[in-house]
Amino acid sequence: MSPTQQLLQSADLISQGAEAAIYKAYLRQLPTSGQAKNVGSDSPCHEVLEPVLLKYRFHKRYRHPSLDTSLTRQRIAGESRALMRCMKSGVNVPGIRMVDVNEGVLGIEWIEGKSVRQLLPGGAELEDIDELEEMDEVEDTDATDALVEYGVSRDALMDMIGVEIAKMHSSDVIHGDLTTSNMMLKEKTRDLILIDFGLAYYSTLVEDKAVDLYVLERAFASTHPDSEPLFSGVLAAYEKRMGKNWVPIKRRLDDVRLRGRKRSMVG
Amino acid sequence: METYYYSQFNHAVVHVALFDDVTNSAAIRSRIIQAARIIGVDGDTEREAINFAFIDARLISSLLHLQTAIYQALLSEAQGQLRTKTIHSEILWALNPTNNITEAIRRYGVSDASTTLIVIRVDVSNIPDVQRRMCDIVQGSMVTFEALKQMTDWSTIKKHYKLDAEPALKEVQGEQDREHAIVNNIIVSSVAMKNVMA
Repeated sequence: MSPTQQLLQSADLISQGAEAAIYKAYLRQLPTSGQAKNVGSDSPCHEVLEPVLLKYRFHKRYRHPSLDTSLTRQRIAGESRALMRCMKSGVNVPGIRMVDVNEGVLGIEWIEGKSVRQLLPGGAELEDIDELEEMDEVEDTDATDALVEYGVSRDALMDMIGVEIAKMHSSDVIHGDLTTSNMMLKEKTRDLILIDFGLAYYSTLVEDKAVDLYVLERAFASTHPDSEPLFSGVLAAYEKRMGKNWVPIKRRLDDVRLRGRKRSMVG
Repeated sequence: METYYYSQFNHAVVHVALFDDVTNSAAIRSRIIQAARIIGVDGDTEREAINFAFIDARLISSLLHLQTAIYQALLSEAQGQLRTKTIHSEILWALNPTNNITEAIRRYGVSDASTTLIVIRVDVSNIPDVQRRMCDIVQGSMVTFEALKQMTDWSTIKKHYKLDAEPALKEVQGEQDREHAIVNNIIVSSVAMKNVMA
């Protein structure tokens, strides 16, 4: 079995999507008592092993094998490059820790915290494998308490979201899947982190940025009750950060809103 | 000295040590060059004696930086895709942003001017006297990696990675700690994704 396959075997499966499976793993191990015998006295076991997030784009049997290999390779490269672009532009994204193109695995910095979806009312649903096992009663107050516990107000959260997306769009990175599940609040620093750049691409077009925002608007509306004030908070912060570039994007966003499903273009 | 265990790479054991106040860098470097030339059993013995990766500590921003390069090198070896001759030279190659092996060794390897060295040994099991072997070669004091922070030459790192004009750094200009954290994150990620960078 290849090293990365072995790594996946010892890892914890967190969730499984259509494209990839997500795991929590440790790239190395602490010595067993047998190995520790030869370790010198000045080798401290102080270091806590840092976990990583493994995104495993497993082999798709419905695809032709050479196409599958090539596509997986391209997707990993695309995701890595988008993350690197964001890092260089100051957007809060997880760092890259390991890449194995041959096996289709991308190792990303582990972010300890909750997703924005879980922190807002309406979002604390049974979406993870872990949660499915619990099957507890979930109330809206749980979500508000979590945000309070983090010491971040809803307005401050919307502000952070607007700023991060503005920074991202300013470097011409389009996320491609902006939802509240793809944003996390880091426990230690209370920073807002954008995650899952699997569908991200590079574009200077106003259209793409407007659609990116529209996808988020729809995600807000479909997941969280009374989302309009929340999303306008996001847009306000986005506008402030974007400066003069906001005007063409706003105009396009209005156009995009008028398109969509069940929207009559009949005058 | 740090020791890392990787069961997925045939239970590889990696020893990593940091030396300060190194006085014989030039001698180490010429020893490495000479060892490649000696033929026969003597050559093998000498090559085995210096079978380590020697890295100038100035260009290493953190232990994570080093660990990431080590991991990618181990991965290449396991997949039979080494770009250089040995696992130790592969670590040096992994650290360099370009594909040029000579450049990697010149930049990240021991140079005549090096006063701080990181020595790495990758093996299939725990060798009993790694520390002694390292100290036999390097004339300097072995220190804990806490000392690495003082050794890092951030301006050279930024130059090699062309990070001087990046927006992320302009934002935090003046706040050294935050700037170093950002640079560290960028170069660790660069080392990890080198194979897909192009």
